[in-house]
Amino acid sequence: MSSSVTTAVKVNTLEKIRQALKERPAQIAAAKQKGQKVIGWLNYFVPEEILLALDTIPVRIGTGGDEQLVDFGGRYISTKNCVFVRSVVGLLGEKKDAYTPLLDLLAADASCLQIFRLAEVVKYYFKYETAILGVPRSFTAPEGRAYFRQELRSFVEQLEKFTGRKLAEDKLNSAIELLAKIRVTLRYLYEYQAQDYANLTWREVFEIVHAGFYLDRAEYLKLLQELVVELETLPVDKNRIPGLQPRIFLTGSQLSPGDVKLINIIEDLGGQIVGDDLWTGLSSYLDIQITAPTVDAVADGYLARVPHAALPYLDIGTDSRIKKLKELLQKFRAQAVIDHTLRYCDPYTFKAGETKDILNNEGYPFLEIHTEYASSDVEAIRTRVEAFLELVRTRNDVAGGI
Amino acid sequence: MTNTEKKISGDVVAGVDVGSLAAKSVIIADGEIVGHGLIPSGFNSEETGKSVLQHALNSAGVPRAALKYIVATGYGRISADYANKTVTEISCHARGANFLYPSVRTIIDIGGQDCKAIRLDSSGNVVDFAMNDKCAAGTGRFLEVMSNVFKVKLEDLGDLALSADSIVPMSSTCTVFVESETISLIARGEKPANIQAGIHHAIANRISGLFSRVGIESDVFFSGGVAKNKGMRKAITEVLKVNIVEPTFDPQLTGALGAAAIAWKNAVREGLCQAA
Repeated sequence: MSSSVTTAVKVNTLEKIRQALKERPAQIAAAKQKGQKVIGWLNYFVPEEILLALDTIPVRIGTGGDEQLVDFGGRYISTKNCVFVRSVVGLLGEKKDAYTPLLDLLAADASCLQIFRLAEVVKYYFKYETAILGVPRSFTAPEGRAYFRQELRSFVEQLEKFTGRKLAEDKLNSAIELLAKIRVTLRYLYEYQAQDYANLTWREVFEIVHAGFYLDRAEYLKLLQELVVELETLPVDKNRIPGLQPRIFLTGSQLSPGDVKLINIIEDLGGQIVGDDLWTGLSSYLDIQITAPTVDAVADGYLARVPHAALPYLDIGTDSRIKKLKELLQKFRAQAVIDHTLRYCDPYTFKAGETKDILNNEGYPFLEIHTEYASSDVEAIRTRVEAFLELVRTRNDVAGGI
Repeated sequence: MTNTEKKISGDVVAGVDVGSLAAKSVIIADGEIVGHGLIPSGFNSEETGKSVLQHALNSAGVPRAALKYIVATGYGRISADYANKTVTEISCHARGANFLYPSVRTIIDIGGQDCKAIRLDSSGNVVDFAMNDKCAAGTGRFLEVMSNVFKVKLEDLGDLALSADSIVPMSSTCTVFVESETISLIARGEKPANIQAGIHHAIANRISGLFSRVGIESDVFFSGGVAKNKGMRKAITEVLKVNIVEPTFDPQLTGALGAAAIAWKNAVREGLCQAA
């Protein structure tokens, strides 16, 4: 991993998280031997609360950055789907990674219709058992709320049949509390890394978020809390002199575990990523309130979050996604925004122009990067990012500009 | 104000722009342009950069040892150990245009393998930009292919387009598709000049798409090797409905000039040169 953004102080709990991640596939395999079901899930609306309360092992599926998986997946799903979708089809088809061979069921929500198609394709070609959770397009309307409640009830019924268990209120309550604590802690880590002299970088927090896709959630929370305690006791990292690097916020299409091309370029060129609203990053952990241990309350809590980009909302002026983005830019003291769009991830592409205009008016320079997993565009992206960082350095007089 | 060339001694800095098709270098002494060089890019970016720098030094009559600061730009900047600093061609084109014409706020740059729309402020700082380098459409390479189809010299394409009495619309800007469409049009008996005018307009239309992202504000400057093509200048003027500043210095050297201007600024800041 190449990066110009590093901390000098060793964080032991980070190493423990990495070690736990290495041991996790064997742990899951052992639990599976004892009869526990493993559910891989995709996208934004599948509630882990339900999966945990039914005593299954949730694994958030999807890696990125591997062009060979994209090629493999592209034999089964149209190349007009984004590379992440094709890559996951490849991943689920090849079953050569540590987790997909362990899956008993694939759960996917239909917020992004490419993901919905992915679930259909892997069911048809690779014989995965799947559970699909419908997501309303009219997500702000009462009818949309009623629809999503009903969809989640059906989803729960399917999983109850699959696991042979009934969803118990006490277990749901415990799962809600556990995941709420994880979200609070991850939000804290995000705020921590954006501080001057922090002993953790954004990239490390992003890595920690991704570890949470796989680790036992209770164990993960313990590690996160241990990390928080350790960070409070560590000496100040004087190596991170503030003000020498442009502070960059990442928005747009997801960056999945393994998809490091853009991150590497930004950091190699001296940019400091200080925040994101990616749904493989901070976005999944924001603004969720589940007020009771019921399926309806879980549905309401998930639907009231900052909406997924694929859900249509035409008036960008009142779009809560933009409002949240502006809030995060202030919170993380970002100086500029890089908008990452995976080719054919259309929801982000369509709104990029308007988002740019709004953020430009707020004083944030905005760079659109369109990319795929192939390395052929590395130099082209490098030139754009480098010029953008020059622009930010000059505009904000970071280290004397160019 | 336009700087005129003159050979003088004093504090000397250089800008080197190694592009995909051509390498350029400009020498500045005491804040004034005193020499320049332009050669085809070779396979070795480092050697090409050094070679074009030497050409520029020779034209200025300045020894290599006199250089206080070098800034490298262009695709070859990643192999420029001879330079004190590297800066992207986007920033360099902005500084170069600002050096020559401080009223310029928008730059159209068409180089060998990409085209760019750049917005800048009164100090020559980039405020926004958009870039197309996903394919050869709308680049110098595109025009090279077309010159081969018509068996005319690259530098004569623009004049050919200017002699058109009508514009043949092209259905694509893809280099490969336009090449085959052009061959069909020739076979159908269309006048080469009219086809050329159509090709130039197709490029101009493609470039206009870049400005939907960054906007356009007068004065507009056209930089890069393709800016020497008068047919292209006319097509862009017609499509974008803007007046383009008439160049008084080789527009292909704009990036190298900007690199030299940045070199001068850095050399002064670091105390290597006296402010002019």
